[in-house]
Amino acid sequence: MQSLSHLLQRLSDSGVDFVVIGGFAGVLHGSALVTRDLDICAVLSLENVERLRETLKDLHPSHRMTPQPLSFLHVPKPGENVRNLYLKTDWGIIDIISTVTGLGDFERVKSQAESFQIAGRTCRLISIEDLIQAKEALGRDKDLLAARELKAIAAKRSK
Amino acid sequence: MKDVAHAIEDAERAGFDLALIDESLRLTHEERARQHDQALALVLEFDRIRSERNAKLESSSAATL
Repeated sequence: MQSLSHLLQRLSDSGVDFVVIGGFAGVLHGSALVTRDLDICAVLSLENVERLRETLKDLHPSHRMTPQPLSFLHVPKPGENVRNLYLKTDWGIIDIISTVTGLGDFERVKSQAESFQIAGRTCRLISIEDLIQAKEALGRDKDLLAARELKAIAAKRSK
Repeated sequence: MKDVAHAIEDAERAGFDLALIDESLRLTHEERARQHDQALALVLEFDRIRSERNAKLESSSAATL
């Protein structure tokens, strides 16, 4: 089963403080574009990495950017620092990053984030203004296109 | 207001279906997430069919050689 919304609910139960960013944040803001992964920004402290491991353990999480498939249950080793995690799970792809290009670290992203409800849980969502800024800072064609849609969404919401 | 109109026109020029955006904005966050899950499931199913078809084509062309 692939379900980014179920993955989001699972993360929400992990005890890790995070903000939804990226394409799925665009979807939550109203974008009609389809994305294949769930991107979140979080502090990847040793404690949070262990919480994520515990939360995802039955979903066969593995690193998706390594030449060999490595289980997230074994890599990184306890006590080893990481800046970002790019994982695939039975429920879909999840990328966990500690700094958002064009914006800054988790505290910066969280400071402007809004809240939303999903299945009775409260989650944080990057503000649409920040998401536009991040997409423009990335500067890839697909991000610039997404930013144009997000600007229209922001405009329609402001009407 | 000029900026608002410009942003909407720009998205339309880029090929976005504004009716789809209007429809999405009427939904809750949770409904948007669920609707996206359904769309993604369809995309992944198309991927699966395409890769199966490509594998069949490759094996039949290998057999012909």
